[in-house]
Amino acid sequence: MQRRNMAQRRYLLRFMPLMVCYALILIGVSAAQRHGAIAGATLGVMSVLPAIPLVGVIIVMGMYLREERDEFIRNRLVMAMLGGTGLLLAATTIWGFLENNGVVGHPPTFLVFPFWCGAMGITQCAMALHSRLTNPAE
Amino acid sequence: MNNHLKTLRAERGWSQQHLAEKLEVSRQSVNAIETGRYDPSLPLAFRIAELFELAIEDVFVSPSRG
Repeated sequence: MQRRNMAQRRYLLRFMPLMVCYALILIGVSAAQRHGAIAGATLGVMSVLPAIPLVGVIIVMGMYLREERDEFIRNRLVMAMLGGTGLLLAATTIWGFLENNGVVGHPPTFLVFPFWCGAMGITQCAMALHSRLTNPAE
Repeated sequence: MNNHLKTLRAERGWSQQHLAEKLEVSRQSVNAIETGRYDPSLPLAFRIAELFELAIEDVFVSPSRG
């Protein structure tokens, strides 16, 4: 198991509190919506609240990419992000044409970021598998 | 890009991990460079050459001369 470098440790220190905030905000907003009729500007603000920590996660990912000093790891991360973006663009393009013809419904757009993260993870797994198959010493 | 990193490292009895620590990169980076799966940037290539006290062309093989 490789030890984490400084940039990776900083990334985790920034990422973890944001995810805790996201969970707490989501629980709070859901509870508030269950207990009372919220409308107008309050509803608007409450709707945006859970998105704020996720936007923070996107910024933290960008900061990590900028701060990672190991160029090979940075290169792999960029490749994984490109793979994730490619998968996301392909999936949304196909979905869009299916939606145009009424085959499928409109997807919740807040799922785009989690989908991108998942697609990036799939790309990283594929890259790791490729490395292992082509270089058993890895 | 072909290189003599594995031989140079072996001559000094250094492990990949030891070389990685000297270069302040991950062991995977050293492995990827050694096996030619990753071409280092010019600054990292110079750092590697300077660590072995060699000229850059004594560590890395020019692709045109391959």
